[in-house]
Amino acid sequence: MKAQRLLLPVLLGSIVSAASAPRPALAATEPDPKEAEYYKITTFPTPPGTALEVSSVEFLPDGRVAMGTRRGEVWIASNAQNATATGAWNKETMAFESDPGAPETSRISYQRFAEGQHEILGLAWKDGWLYATNRYEVLRMKSQSGSGKADRFETVCDKWGVSGDYHEYSFGSRFDKNGDLWVLCCLTGSFSSKTPFRGWALRVKPDGTMVPTCSGVRSPGGVGFDADGEVYYTDNQGPWHGSCTLQHLVPGSFQGHPGGNMWYDLAPNMGPRPQDPMDKSRMVTERTKIKELVPPAVYMVYGPGKIGNSSTAIIADESEGKFGPFQKQLFIPDQSHSNVSRVFLETVNGVKQGVVFPFLTGLRSGPIGARMGKDGKFFVGGSDRGWGAKGGEVFAFERIDWTGKVPFEVHEMHAKPDGFELTFTEPVDPATAGNPASYNAREFTYIYQEKYGSPEVDDVLPKIEKAVVAPDGKSVRLHFDVLTKGHVHELHLDGVRSAKGAPVLHPVAYYTLNEIPAK
Amino acid sequence: MNSLRPLLLSGLLAASAPALLAQEPVQINLKTLTAQMKFDLSELVVSPGTKVKLLFENPDDMPHNVVFCQPGTNVEQLVMKMLEKPEEALKNNFLPDDPKVWLKSRLLNPHEKQVIEFTAPEKPGNYPYVCSFPGHAASMQGVLRVLGEGPKLENLKFALYLGSWKNLPNFTELTPHRTGDVPDNLVQLNFDDYKNQYGLVFTGTLKVPANGEYTFYSASDDGCRITVGDEQVHKHDGIHPAEIRESKKKLKKGEYPVRIEYFQAEGGAALYVGWKGEQFDTTAFSKWTPENWKKGVQQKTNEFVGLPLDPKGAPIIYRNFIAGAGNRSIGVGFEGGLNYAWSAETMNFTLAWRGAFMDAARHWRSRGGGHQSPAGFDVVRPAELVPPLAVLESQNAEWPKFTPDQPLEGYAWKGYDLDQNGVPTFHYTWKGVQVDEKIESSGDFKKGGSLVRTLTLKGPIPAKSFLLLSQKAKLTSAKDGYAVQGEKLNLNGTNYENQILIKAPGATVSGNSLLVPVSEKIQISYTWPEMHPANHATHTAQ
Repeated sequence: MKAQRLLLPVLLGSIVSAASAPRPALAATEPDPKEAEYYKITTFPTPPGTALEVSSVEFLPDGRVAMGTRRGEVWIASNAQNATATGAWNKETMAFESDPGAPETSRISYQRFAEGQHEILGLAWKDGWLYATNRYEVLRMKSQSGSGKADRFETVCDKWGVSGDYHEYSFGSRFDKNGDLWVLCCLTGSFSSKTPFRGWALRVKPDGTMVPTCSGVRSPGGVGFDADGEVYYTDNQGPWHGSCTLQHLVPGSFQGHPGGNMWYDLAPNMGPRPQDPMDKSRMVTERTKIKELVPPAVYMVYGPGKIGNSSTAIIADESEGKFGPFQKQLFIPDQSHSNVSRVFLETVNGVKQGVVFPFLTGLRSGPIGARMGKDGKFFVGGSDRGWGAKGGEVFAFERIDWTGKVPFEVHEMHAKPDGFELTFTEPVDPATAGNPASYNAREFTYIYQEKYGSPEVDDVLPKIEKAVVAPDGKSVRLHFDVLTKGHVHELHLDGVRSAKGAPVLHPVAYYTLNEIPAK
Repeated sequence: MNSLRPLLLSGLLAASAPALLAQEPVQINLKTLTAQMKFDLSELVVSPGTKVKLLFENPDDMPHNVVFCQPGTNVEQLVMKMLEKPEEALKNNFLPDDPKVWLKSRLLNPHEKQVIEFTAPEKPGNYPYVCSFPGHAASMQGVLRVLGEGPKLENLKFALYLGSWKNLPNFTELTPHRTGDVPDNLVQLNFDDYKNQYGLVFTGTLKVPANGEYTFYSASDDGCRITVGDEQVHKHDGIHPAEIRESKKKLKKGEYPVRIEYFQAEGGAALYVGWKGEQFDTTAFSKWTPENWKKGVQQKTNEFVGLPLDPKGAPIIYRNFIAGAGNRSIGVGFEGGLNYAWSAETMNFTLAWRGAFMDAARHWRSRGGGHQSPAGFDVVRPAELVPPLAVLESQNAEWPKFTPDQPLEGYAWKGYDLDQNGVPTFHYTWKGVQVDEKIESSGDFKKGGSLVRTLTLKGPIPAKSFLLLSQKAKLTSAKDGYAVQGEKLNLNGTNYENQILIKAPGATVSGNSLLVPVSEKIQISYTWPEMHPANHATHTAQ
């Protein structure tokens, strides 16, 4: 404590008052004009009288967009793909309101399909039913009477626990390639699991049976698939998580937080409980001791000015080019930074790993639920409730569209035995891209510990010895003097220019090097 | 802040004796809000140079600190700057070492607290405070406002009128009973022995120090009005108890005539008037001040109040954590003010209540945890959280128990349908029997309504099957049914009588339980005691 101004008090009565004022105004973000040239954000009007805290998004067969919300409603939006009329936040009505003069064809419209559910963090459509994951069950709903409102709610699976703790969220996936739904159960609080399967990934089979599938989950923010149908979830910085992460859900695996591992007793299919990780260790060390431990595929590097604080949905680009040049890559929003990052993954020695790049800033609230159509229309919505979001509004529903212009970006980043190979979206300028001085690298990791979070530690500053530009100008091979297994390899490309002279739009990459390839 | 008033009064009395001002520090409580990434207060006000004892508590499950900065500091930039050197920031527990910071707490771990004593800055101004733990600054910030007292009334005179009024009269048309100066320039009521049926008009001057918006306050029993220059700036007319009211007015700098009008009808009499501006704290024009007058109109500090769910037409369904109804409760509220909660873990009707349905603020304004009590009254829970159906070898056998998160033996939850009016029918199976349960509202809670519960069972019903209607209750035969006096029910600190009238054909008393043998269709009605015709005379409208 440091007190200053210890001057003689001259007071008529010691006067203190305190008033509960409204929420502090947050510095709202605006779309970055440089990014907006390539990707445009449309912030939709929202239905009056509710908080459209979109926590899950799914498409109906007719193209309408269904949204599950934190308030337990399901809304169905029409014309969401084509609507251009934007909404302006009205703090009196607490809704985004559209310009009354906007033509009908430019507007989105909403219909409330269901309400009263307990926080819907997953929606999936199948055979005329909308499946929803709430805090303690997967249910499915439909409009039996044809009124357009759900009137039949069938329980599919309710075999995991809930105790009333806020932290016990349950995120549901869409159907995976085997027809199963995945449910990611947050722990009870950050450290422990008070009720069955908190801290686990579960699969729900079509007949409703539940298969405990992965342990070690802490606080998921979303679950989704890559373009090959492999299943991933995002976890958040906290105990045993130095940073937010993207994690590969390998059946039978332990994902890193031992707080829920007592439930191995209820999961004979999973075999014996793995040994607990050692506190204040490193992921790369513990992996050698605990065979079930799968390292994060990508550290979504934590902190201001970096990737984010709270990764959420996992969206694979299956638009075959309609969302720009990043086909089959993953897009991952962040609830507190109100942004979207881009991930490229590869498999090395059987382990998923890859790179994350900043992609787009300026969402209006804290994105949670998202979905991209094959038409490349990327819907994202969310809420800042509980954690705050840079975007500044309490909720929002938005669409991200590619403008058709290709940004100059690193396209893919592949690990090599002595460095990385970068491919670019546009041919590079051989002079700058071939000069090692155009790059700057740093290698670091996190403490794998029970304590909340971790600083970036064990810094290695490698030397980039050579940068070799391929004859077609579309890729560059970087030779490092040292790679560090298990470290995040942070690469800055401030000096690189395209053949047309443009700098890289987002000149930073964070590659999680779980494995170093032999060739 | 009850402790403030004596301090203030002693301060006023001691105005000419500064030695007595070696005072006890003023206590301020500042807390982090659990799971909301906010401080509970975003504004603190102290007078210049005050000694302050700050009790800083962190009931959240994340680490937090509080860092006070110089006026004009951009606190988010301050934190960003600190994080440019992450290793150093970590070493310093994320407490910025920056000349802009003049006071800081420790980094408090979850559930820690710290007492910090400091002397408020001498220079009036807005001193921002922030939690500098990474990622928190955007929403965890506030302002410590250092404010002195403002101008008071001068040249104060009074005029006393006698009369009986229900609202302020037009005093200018009346003749005063008595007039005079007010020597200490403080508005007060004790000029005479009159206790009832009088009016007072105070006139004086007030120096408005700058152009700006000012807040005027009153707490008067009964009506009062404040006029500055030619403009009415505040009015709380009529007969009422003294309750702090406020109103805002933009004023230009200058000296104004001021007029404060007041009347007393009968009973209690009190008058507080005061004002507050951008550059000064609440300042009383009156001798008497009510409790917490510095706080102005009481704000709701409880953020878990204020999202009432009000059924109109179709019932509202609210699946959430409802106090007393377990962790998988389904609240259903009808327009007529009859409400219940059904449990999808015990498959049972658990709570019923009258009046308002639910306040969703606890769940919808925060991260969604915690059990919320029903918003209405007369909450009843005839039985504990137990399954509804059981096979009993003898009627006196113990009813099966339910343990949260343990599978409920023999039962499976199947979901629900809504009829065309939006009324749910719940479905579950029990020992191979399909059970459909519908609870309908009949009438209005003010006019004697009831909840009618119908169970329909399909499939072979085991012999000796019973449905439990109430448990551990005092049961008295009443017209066509039983008056059930259950165990005292306490939900989140509120006690309920737990009385209900249950009517079910075939119901039998077994010890202190009310059971009904299971058949293909069972109908039960629940009526609150004073709604029963026999008791109707004692019913008081709510």
